[in-house]
Amino acid sequence: MTSVIGVLFDGLAYGSLLFLVAVGLSITMGLMNFINLAHGAFAMIGGYFSVWLTQKTGLPFLATLPFAFFGAGLAGLAAERLLFQRLYKASHLDQVLFTVGFVFSSIAAAHYFFGAGQQFVSTPGFLQGQLRVAGVDLGKYRLFLIAVVILLTIALHLMFAKTRFGAQVRASVDNQDAAAGLGVNVGLVFSLCFALGSGLAGLGGALGVEVLGLDPTFPLKYMVYFLLVVVVGGAGSLRGPLIAALILGVFDVAGKYFIPQAGAFIIYVLMIALLLAFPSGLGGRRA
Amino acid sequence: MTDLLRVEALCAGYGQARVLDGISFAMKPGESLALLGRNGVGKSTLIRSLMGLTKRHSGSVFFGGADLSAASPTRRARAGLGWAPQERAMFPSLTVEEHLTTTARPGPWTLEKIYEVFPRLRERRLNMGDQLSGGEQQMVAIARALTTNPRLLLLDEPMEGLAPIIVQELAAVIGRLIREGGMAAIVVEQHARLALSMTERAMVLDRGRVVHESSSESLLRDSETLGRLVAVAA
Ligand SMILES: Nc1ncnc2c1ncn2[C@@H]1O[C@H](COP(=O)(O)OP(=O)(O)O)[C@@H](O)[C@H]1O
Ligand SMILES: [Mg+2]
Repeated sequence: MTSVIGVLFDGLAYGSLLFLVAVGLSITMGLMNFINLAHGAFAMIGGYFSVWLTQKTGLPFLATLPFAFFGAGLAGLAAERLLFQRLYKASHLDQVLFTVGFVFSSIAAAHYFFGAGQQFVSTPGFLQGQLRVAGVDLGKYRLFLIAVVILLTIALHLMFAKTRFGAQVRASVDNQDAAAGLGVNVGLVFSLCFALGSGLAGLGGALGVEVLGLDPTFPLKYMVYFLLVVVVGGAGSLRGPLIAALILGVFDVAGKYFIPQAGAFIIYVLMIALLLAFPSGLGGRRA
Repeated sequence: MTDLLRVEALCAGYGQARVLDGISFAMKPGESLALLGRNGVGKSTLIRSLMGLTKRHSGSVFFGGADLSAASPTRRARAGLGWAPQERAMFPSLTVEEHLTTTARPGPWTLEKIYEVFPRLRERRLNMGDQLSGGEQQMVAIARALTTNPRLLLLDEPMEGLAPIIVQELAAVIGRLIREGGMAAIVVEQHARLALSMTERAMVLDRGRVVHESSSESLLRDSETLGRLVAVAA
């Protein structure tokens, strides 16, 4: 029984992290219908930036997190303005080829600067070890992860639901021509969303060094996971990808714990089943 | 007075297809124009071309003294073109009130003023864009264009598909907007007589060309010409 709760808890923490990394992909795919397989590269940038800062400046891990967010966000903004923006009107095949090329370039760059090995961060003492709640041991760092993602999700929701910028994003997703024809700078809205999504991915990448690991193959290793979150959850929404990421996280951890020989097979079957049941995603407005 | 809008030999369409075949006309500030013509002659294409949402093959569009021929829709809207599209283009994930605030710009048309003119929208302010009747959608489309505080209001068939009683009610409001609103307006209408009764000038299109220009009053009196150029319902 305790192992079931423990696995569920680990799965939720893992799913929260997947959501944090993938939510930006959901927003940008919903807005511009742009297939971005390179999203994980920005998570990796955040992760390495955080590791590099702790090593070079001695900054404590938690203090590097805002830098991971802004660093990856700026990298995303630059990549969108200089490169990706040119591909919005291109075919999906061109988008896939280009962004896969971007992934391999980012892998080579990470390899060149940081080597092939796994990276580590030292989390502060108060986030190490377990907290005993009602007879179950819960990892403190995973509790912290879940709390951070809950707060960020609330903040994101409020931004999209309550601010004028959020309404402009929704209007642009609903009808780009009408939004532009009424004065919304759809291109700028999209750039800012892309930057925000990349920043959140970078934050997720840094927070996830402990959980997901970090080496140059990161953007390739997790590509399928991020895509699953968006495809199953539905592009252009928050709720769908959140549910999808939590389901994915729990079943992946549970599968590997209880039936290790099946590996990732369980989640693929699950995701196919979910897609058959909800062809346009769990919470998306578009297929 | 200098022209607010000047269109010169505009040829535009969708991709390779040319719909507008050399359109030229001009409007002064505050002036109102009825844009008439049978279905499919290019009225909406002209409006969309003013907004920069079609493919321009040649020709120019000047607005407020600036050359906007190659400008983005965003820039045109911000320059003072207020567009109420024929397909209404409601945003399903915005409330009525958000439709009226998200693209609003400073000027006399505040939310309060809009609610005074369209009291119905105050009642519906928390409805989403896809939870509205046809007449309400039309009001939101017009009101949304007004909140951008345009110098030129573009109304593309604002009465389309509405019940006669609602047409009368809305026509009264639009007529008042055009006379007292201080802004220029182009009104595209199938109800030719209605559009003529609320505007100063008239322009008729046929197959992408201007085939008639006159004062609205004289066209309204000339039933023979009107019947020849436009299918007149009533
Ligand atoms: N999005 C589009 N793509 C291609 N052709 C179009 C499009 N919209 C309209 N057309 C064509 O352009 C012509 C003019 O249409 P339109 O401007 O909508 O006419 P009107 O508003 O006068 O009824 C028609 O032949 C129509 O089929
Ligand atoms: Mg039309």
